[in-house]
Amino acid sequence: MPSIDVRHLSKSFRKAGPVLDDVTFRYEGPGAIGYLGPNGAGKTTTLKLLVGLLRPTGGRALLNGLEVTENRQAALWDVGALIETPEPYPTQSVAEALRTVGQIRSLSREGIDFEIARLHEELKLPPLERRCGALSKGQRQRVALAAALIGDPSVLLLDEPSSALDPAERVLVRNLLGRLKKDHLILLVSHQVADIAEVCDDVLILDRGHVVLKDHVENVIARAPSRQLDVEFLRAVPLAAFSAFGADVGAVERLSDLHYRLRFDGSEEARGRILAGCLRLGPIAQFSNATLALEDAYLQLLNATPGPPAVVGSG
Amino acid sequence: MTERPTRSRPNELRQWYAVVTSQVSHYLRSYRFLGLLGFIVLISAVTILLELQSGVTLVRAVQLYSYSEYLSNFYQWGNLWIFMGAAFFAGDALSVDFSTGTGYYMLVLPIHRRTLLAGRYVSATLAILAILVIFFVIGILGGAYFFGIGDVPWLKVGITFGLYVVLTLAAVSVAFCISAVVRSPSAGVLTTILTLYVGFMTLETTVELTGQEPWFSLNYAGNGIPNVLDIDFSHVAELPVGTGQYTTLWTAYPSEGAVIISAYVVVFFLLSLFLYNRKESTG
Repeated sequence: MPSIDVRHLSKSFRKAGPVLDDVTFRYEGPGAIGYLGPNGAGKTTTLKLLVGLLRPTGGRALLNGLEVTENRQAALWDVGALIETPEPYPTQSVAEALRTVGQIRSLSREGIDFEIARLHEELKLPPLERRCGALSKGQRQRVALAAALIGDPSVLLLDEPSSALDPAERVLVRNLLGRLKKDHLILLVSHQVADIAEVCDDVLILDRGHVVLKDHVENVIARAPSRQLDVEFLRAVPLAAFSAFGADVGAVERLSDLHYRLRFDGSEEARGRILAGCLRLGPIAQFSNATLALEDAYLQLLNATPGPPAVVGSG
Repeated sequence: MTERPTRSRPNELRQWYAVVTSQVSHYLRSYRFLGLLGFIVLISAVTILLELQSGVTLVRAVQLYSYSEYLSNFYQWGNLWIFMGAAFFAGDALSVDFSTGTGYYMLVLPIHRRTLLAGRYVSATLAILAILVIFFVIGILGGAYFFGIGDVPWLKVGITFGLYVVLTLAAVSVAFCISAVVRSPSAGVLTTILTLYVGFMTLETTVELTGQEPWFSLNYAGNGIPNVLDIDFSHVAELPVGTGQYTTLWTAYPSEGAVIISAYVVVFFLLSLFLYNRKESTG
């Protein structure tokens, strides 16, 4: 069973001070975990500690039950990682760069050829004979992702795997990760919350070095208080009519002649006044909280934690 | 899903070989290899052309009518070429992992850092030796013109080359150590050449002025290597500096040089291994 086990992990830098403070989480078995947080929260630092690019100040980081500080060869044996912006040697061709990784992963010659062909197809890699130094940023990122996937490791640590990709390539990677999570354990760092929402089952939110939330994606969305209301009228209502709501309504979005989305402060009092106001405008077919996207829930959660972050969640 | 590819258990020797092959091919295709090779060939060719201009008779007399003496003088350049090669190929061999994306490509793989270091160490050494072989061949061909190919002192040439191989290992060890400390690759290259050549040479001169033998210097030890071929070798020489005073100039015995160089190989290789293992990717 693939596993990622982080126990009381801390990391402090001489100049920057503590970046991770007593972070603990454990996942076992296939699935995808979104690792979210603002810049500087400590997401990449966690990944670097997991693969041994950094040494922890305290705590432990285990992959498949093995600690990289004790035996990096064994601990990373079944792990693929894409962290920051990996760059193969510019003089190497795409095939050579991937072949080197395959050899280090001790794949047979036939196994390497098979894997390169598979990943060339799945990730729409650039021509294999092209020099890595001549690749675009997006092409280089796909080659780096292919390097992480070569040999089909059961644990994948992916840091912004689609940051340099165009929308079509992002969909390609998202779909691939969606397939891979069925029999791999993926820890996915991304600022593209939509990608996390699409791919991941669980989400882990980090803020200023602390885990502030650990839960299933749908629970995170459900937990956040909605600050948007969807109102559907039985007959058309002009947009201008909402000016009568005054300060209670922050913004009005017209979804159709009958259907509007209203932003408000989330309080029950304002909700009651808005409902009464809507009834004065005309008969209502539906009045409900707008369905939140993970992104909204994430932003609300971070905005609601100005002090020392507290852990919530059930994961 | 596709079937997972079969993988044998990690084999450090196989991983080391993979690093060597990829690194050597990278070096041989790089502009710095071609540039350094071109530069060395040019300097060597110009040297021989100038000798040709002087005439065979004069060259033979200056070189004490000895093929061996000729090669001893020609191979004096070996030190500089090796130090330049070490700076070019080893000066940034480890720092690239902590300042460029190369580290994020290689250091996340299931490979011990010692294996990566050993692979790069051998690769840098091979790249320098490839240039050194060409330099040696040019020397032999040049000498053959003046003294005849039948007189090549093959044994002495072999010993000299062997000692230069050890010097290459020492220079690469020092360069790796510097590369494991400095952050920027270009700073690694520059610091290596400054340390190996300018730094050691300055220290040597200073120490010699006090009448002491600069036995600690890698440059001094390396300069002793072509003395294997020297037929007119003296370990100590007094040089007049005016006002009736003399300064002492030291030249290392080849055997003495070999010991100093070997010490550098061991100490600096172990030090670079220790430093590289401890280095973190904080960038």
